[in-house]
Amino acid sequence: MKKQIIPGCVMLVLSLVIAIGSFTFLSPCVHEDGSVGACHWAGRALLGLGCLLAVLSVLALLSGRARFGIYLSSLAVCTVGILTPGTLISLCRMDSMRCRAVMQPAMIILFAAAGLAALCGALACGRKEKGRT
Amino acid sequence: MKNAPLPLKNLIRKPGRTTALVLLTAFLALAVFGGSVIILSLRTGLRSLEARLGADIILVPSEAQSKISFQNMFLQGTTGAFYMDAAVTDKAMGVPGVEKTAPQTFLASLKADCCSVKIQVIGIDPEKDFTVQPWIARSLTGELGDMDVVTGCRVEAGIGEIIRIYDQRCKVVARLEPTGTGLDTAVYCNMGTMNTLLAAAEAKGVSHKISSGDDSVVSAVYVKVKDGYDIDTVNSALTGKLRKVTAVRTRSMITGVSDSLAGISRTVTTMVIVIWALALIILMLAYILIVRERSREFAVLRLIGASGNMLGRMALTESAVCGLAGGLVGTGLAAIGVFSFSALIESSLGLPYLLPDPGTLLLLAAGTVILSAAVSALASAFAAWRLSRVNPGTALREGN
Amino acid sequence: MLLRADHISKTFFRSTGSANYFYAVSPLSMEIAPGTVTVLTGRSGSGKTTLLNMLSGILEPTEGKVWADDTDLYGLKDAALSRFRNDRIGVVSQARSAVDTLTVAENILLPAKLYGKTPPEEETRYWMKAFEIAPLADAMPKELSGGELRRMAIIRALVQDPDVLFADEPTGDLDDENTKKVLSALHAFAHERNRAVFIVTHENEAVKYADRLFRMEKGQIMQPESE
Repeated sequence: MKKQIIPGCVMLVLSLVIAIGSFTFLSPCVHEDGSVGACHWAGRALLGLGCLLAVLSVLALLSGRARFGIYLSSLAVCTVGILTPGTLISLCRMDSMRCRAVMQPAMIILFAAAGLAALCGALACGRKEKGRT
Repeated sequence: MKNAPLPLKNLIRKPGRTTALVLLTAFLALAVFGGSVIILSLRTGLRSLEARLGADIILVPSEAQSKISFQNMFLQGTTGAFYMDAAVTDKAMGVPGVEKTAPQTFLASLKADCCSVKIQVIGIDPEKDFTVQPWIARSLTGELGDMDVVTGCRVEAGIGEIIRIYDQRCKVVARLEPTGTGLDTAVYCNMGTMNTLLAAAEAKGVSHKISSGDDSVVSAVYVKVKDGYDIDTVNSALTGKLRKVTAVRTRSMITGVSDSLAGISRTVTTMVIVIWALALIILMLAYILIVRERSREFAVLRLIGASGNMLGRMALTESAVCGLAGGLVGTGLAAIGVFSFSALIESSLGLPYLLPDPGTLLLLAAGTVILSAAVSALASAFAAWRLSRVNPGTALREGN
Repeated sequence: MLLRADHISKTFFRSTGSANYFYAVSPLSMEIAPGTVTVLTGRSGSGKTTLLNMLSGILEPTEGKVWADDTDLYGLKDAALSRFRNDRIGVVSQARSAVDTLTVAENILLPAKLYGKTPPEEETRYWMKAFEIAPLADAMPKELSGGELRRMAIIRALVQDPDVLFADEPTGDLDDENTKKVLSALHAFAHERNRAVFIVTHENEAVKYADRLFRMEKGQIMQPESE
């Protein structure tokens, strides 16, 4: 049981960091003139994905039987999260820009870690299911 | 698992203790690998800067505040635009001891043109240039034609892509290899293209006019001094002959950079040493405590005929395995951090920063992992030695 | 294998009292022959365990020698002595003596595994069944009671098939039924396989199984009480 719950807790913490970070300490580039670039929308998408992942984590913690499926879908969300900055939504053209120097690597690492937790959770649930039959 | 050797069983079946030891060594590996990569990258960056600055002296308008804004532009990629009469190039050639001169013209793009940020556009004269041209030649086989641009490695634009600068369509024909300097965020074009861009900028209200009223302007002139001439003498001669022009010795720029680099290297090295000393002490204490906790277990092993050396070897194997695992974890984490955030590290250090080649990095990673295993084994050596001398008779009684 | 103690004694340092040293075991000589069960009784602190440790190659005597046939036990280097003990001497300690990271079965097979010998799995199963701890084969030592641990330690010594088996209070945590079982197993081991068994005990029951009985008082062996 513990092995199934801990990944959910880890995911919840990471998803909150993603969601809150997407408009605070991991935000995309801020332009003095108030204009917005593509990276701004990437940040919005990451906020959405972070919130979605947080909801999934809570569901994983609360639900019993559906946990395995929730972990698998979280894994899919994390994959999208990894691809969002830079691949699905383009960022600024220069490496030294904040969106590429800070937001992109941090978000990729956070989603990768959350994905790893989801994978561990799915494996733990799968193993238990196997043991039951 | 059933047939795993005893040391491995001991590690796996005491997960809490093993995790703590692995994390401790991971911390060591993280510090040493991260620290080393940063120091090495700074050194590689400095070498790259020296190679890129093929000139001995750089002439810039006095208004460029000589070193400050120029050096920032060079090192950090901040944009700068300052102009002087193009005739400076030829006048400098007239000074005794000057072998070659190469003019460059700078223009800062408008934000919206490219990527919502200003980028530095640098016009060069491919005929005369000896500073950037050799690097461009490595990436670009043909000529740098009109309205063609070569981008630094940190400007994200594919070859063949069109980028707009002051509404002029420029075609990206090549991308430069990384230099670790501010030049990585610049875009290069020939003087013809630069003149077109200057005119377009003028039309948009970005003036580059100089007081003399001459249309032909340059921003900096790179000077190569003939062999056998004293660079300082030539430097003073240039300053004397040219008005409103400051001559900057590239050496002094590099010295400035290498001074800061030495400072940062010292700080990082000190930090790594302090972390190691602390972690080593903690590790040694941990192993000593563990031996106390495990004295009964080792007495039992002695009782059934394990020799002192066998126990010592077992303890060393356990700690080496912990060290190896910790080394892998720590190096991996450090690699993720240092490589993912290299752009951030570069901009916060404000110094040339260029990751060493993959071979060096791999070697460094392997070295770190081996070092962690060795240090972990070393930390447990005293404990292992004490274990090898455990007397089963007395130890079992104490454990009662 | 004939085990012979030749004027062995053990003195320990003591910081209080008039003398700096005291004799835990006063100089004594004795033989432990194959095919016999030797039982040593005596009050607590009389030096029984110290004597057992010296005879079994664990504790070097202050003076005197222990001979195993023609081998001077304490003349051997640590590695050789350890190997010798693993091959030919079995010890059941008075204290709890399980390796906590190994299962019960792994603990029993550990002596063989240390030197890469073929593990005596058949015998292990037999004795675990006989001593009624067969279901605990995969349990960890911390899940076992004192009596179960004691039986595990005895099985570990038995399956080593040593020439001499030393047992320090082997029935300490056992009920009457198990005490009888263990003592008759040790007796059978000595007589059927022609091995030497040396038991240190408080247990009166053990006296019944003794071929030779010694009593120890203040570090000295009293004359054999029965032959």
